[in-house]
Amino acid sequence: METVSPQHFLVLAFLLFAVGFLGVLIRRNLLLVLMSLELMLNGVNVALVSFSRTSLNLDGSLFVFFIMTVAATEVAVGLALLVALYKKRQSVFSEDISLLKN
Amino acid sequence: METVAFSILLLPLLSALITLLFLRKSGNIAALLSVATSGGILVFALYLIFNGENEVFEWQTTWMKMSGWELSFGFLIDAPARLLLFVVSFVGFLIHVFSLGYMADDEAKARYFGGLSIFMFSMIGITLANNLIMIFVFWELVGFSSYLLIAHYLTTDEAAQASKKAFIVNRVGDFGFLIGIVLTYWAFGTVNLVELADLVDFDPSLVTTLLGLALACGFIGKSAQFPLHVWLPDAMAGPTPVSALIHAATMVAAGIYLLVRINFMFTTQSLSLLAILGASMGLYAGFCALVQRDIKKILAYSTLSQLGYMAAAFGLGMPGLALFHLMTHAFFKALMFLGSGSVIHACHHEQDIFKYGGLRKKMPITAITFLLGVLAISGVNFLSGYFSKDAILLTAYNVNMPVFVLLYAGAILTAIYMFRLYFITFEGQPRSEKASRAHENGALMTGPLILLGILSIFAGYHSFIPLAIVESLISDIESVAAMPNHLWMIVLGTFAWVVGAIIAKNFYGRVGDDDPLAKKLPTFYALCKSKLFFDQMYGFYINKIQDPIARFLEVMELLFISGLMVRGSAGIASLFALLGKICYIGKIHAYAFWFVGGTIGFLAYAVGIFGN
Repeated sequence: METVSPQHFLVLAFLLFAVGFLGVLIRRNLLLVLMSLELMLNGVNVALVSFSRTSLNLDGSLFVFFIMTVAATEVAVGLALLVALYKKRQSVFSEDISLLKN
Repeated sequence: METVAFSILLLPLLSALITLLFLRKSGNIAALLSVATSGGILVFALYLIFNGENEVFEWQTTWMKMSGWELSFGFLIDAPARLLLFVVSFVGFLIHVFSLGYMADDEAKARYFGGLSIFMFSMIGITLANNLIMIFVFWELVGFSSYLLIAHYLTTDEAAQASKKAFIVNRVGDFGFLIGIVLTYWAFGTVNLVELADLVDFDPSLVTTLLGLALACGFIGKSAQFPLHVWLPDAMAGPTPVSALIHAATMVAAGIYLLVRINFMFTTQSLSLLAILGASMGLYAGFCALVQRDIKKILAYSTLSQLGYMAAAFGLGMPGLALFHLMTHAFFKALMFLGSGSVIHACHHEQDIFKYGGLRKKMPITAITFLLGVLAISGVNFLSGYFSKDAILLTAYNVNMPVFVLLYAGAILTAIYMFRLYFITFEGQPRSEKASRAHENGALMTGPLILLGILSIFAGYHSFIPLAIVESLISDIESVAAMPNHLWMIVLGTFAWVVGAIIAKNFYGRVGDDDPLAKKLPTFYALCKSKLFFDQMYGFYINKIQDPIARFLEVMELLFISGLMVRGSAGIASLFALLGKICYIGKIHAYAFWFVGGTIGFLAYAVGIFGN
């Protein structure tokens, strides 16, 4: 059986990032957009860990911890904004939020 | 000394301030305060005049200081200043007292007496000021108080228009005056009167005709001389005591006083121009006065004419004579204005002389004192006007014949229109109900009349007046006394008033409701009535020339400054904003796409796709 090589990790990371990116671009529900953003971050995390492993250097792993903390706070703020937005406009769909239009 | 000068200056200001702050509703207290103030001014003024030992007193302090340029505030009390101070404070006091009677029933007494106080403040400022800029400041202040008091009956359209006209016409003259002050500072580096006199003494070539004429613009505006004379007759819309104080005795005479103060600034050319200007005014205003029906307008034109005499005297190089006539004129003209006020008050504000008649029997004191004024102004022998006017005529006769001819014709006219006024108003039968029910006014009004009447008789005997007051006149009067042709002048002078009186008696001895001149000499009458179309000319100039230019400039301003420059630059910015706005379509996904596009663009740049 073939061993898991760094290339596999990178492919996984790319796929995760691509799925998240497409989600951000395509999804109309802001909750899902937020989740897609997390997906992108985690794709980057996978890539960082794999690089850290191949280069025998802990810098990448350290970065991952930072990113996870920042992502957690970011999600907390983002969700709070989303709840507030829903209370105000009864909707979480992006096309309903167009106050800045023109 | 300077303490007294300060008190005399600040006393009326204080009174006006108190009136403004506390007494707006209590007119009677304000009136008493103002009269008391003017009494105080008189006392201080007499102290100042008689305690100076006839020396020139100068005192000054720094008013404001900018780098290398200092403006001082100071007093210069010399002989002319003492004379004018006496005239202003004395006539001012009498007119204040007269106002108590005349304005007794007025609704806005506080405003009136406050205005009088402001005027006294500004006028004394002009009298005492020791530099041109200070004179200019008070010059504007008298203009303002004149504006304020002309507009006293502010509900009438006439008063509102007249006050505006007086102010704006004065601005024209003052603009020239201001240019003159700037030129003076430029040429001499100082505006202090004493220093200027010294500098001119040192180097007479510094004085130019242009400079003198620019400074004389102030005089032309304030003393209502040609071509800025149009405001004075209209200014008669104000209360009569105001006309007496401001538009006859003091403010309009301030123009002459200014000339006397800066008489070293005039070249021979500018002097002869002033002489001709004044003499023509003397004649022109006489013709205008001949056909007026309003008692105050007759007196206003007569004032113009007498100011012309003063200007002519000054132009002939006799500033002392100008001051002499200023003094006697202040007395007899204030007398006649107050007399007309007494008549107007008795006839319930009727001002048309053809609605009067027979008032001598009903108002004997007013009639007799008024007659004294008429005799004095006509130059009847041995009254005050005789001395001052004949001195001017004699000077003109010996120095400048054309000026003499103009002035002499003016003298005959003066006698005609003054006697016309007297005969129509006081003789004959009453021609209206108001006139037939008129009666003499109280002592508050007749008292000042009697005092001024006495002065109109005796003010010409300068040797009996204390030297402290008339010192500035002596040298010029003595040089006139040394001139030839005295006897001839007495004959000519007597002839002028006798002829004038006879013509007036024949023409106006018995009149109906209309001016007999209008029937006998209609063309002449219409010509005089038109006042040579000056008002129409100015109206034409403003409506047809100045207004279109102003409108043209307004359009240009709208087009270029407001349109092209202000709106234009804003337009360019908003054009860019319009472009940027297109991107803001209100869809968050679109923004994400822009973001991706931007990132790709940067990446492309970073890897060198654009060929860098």
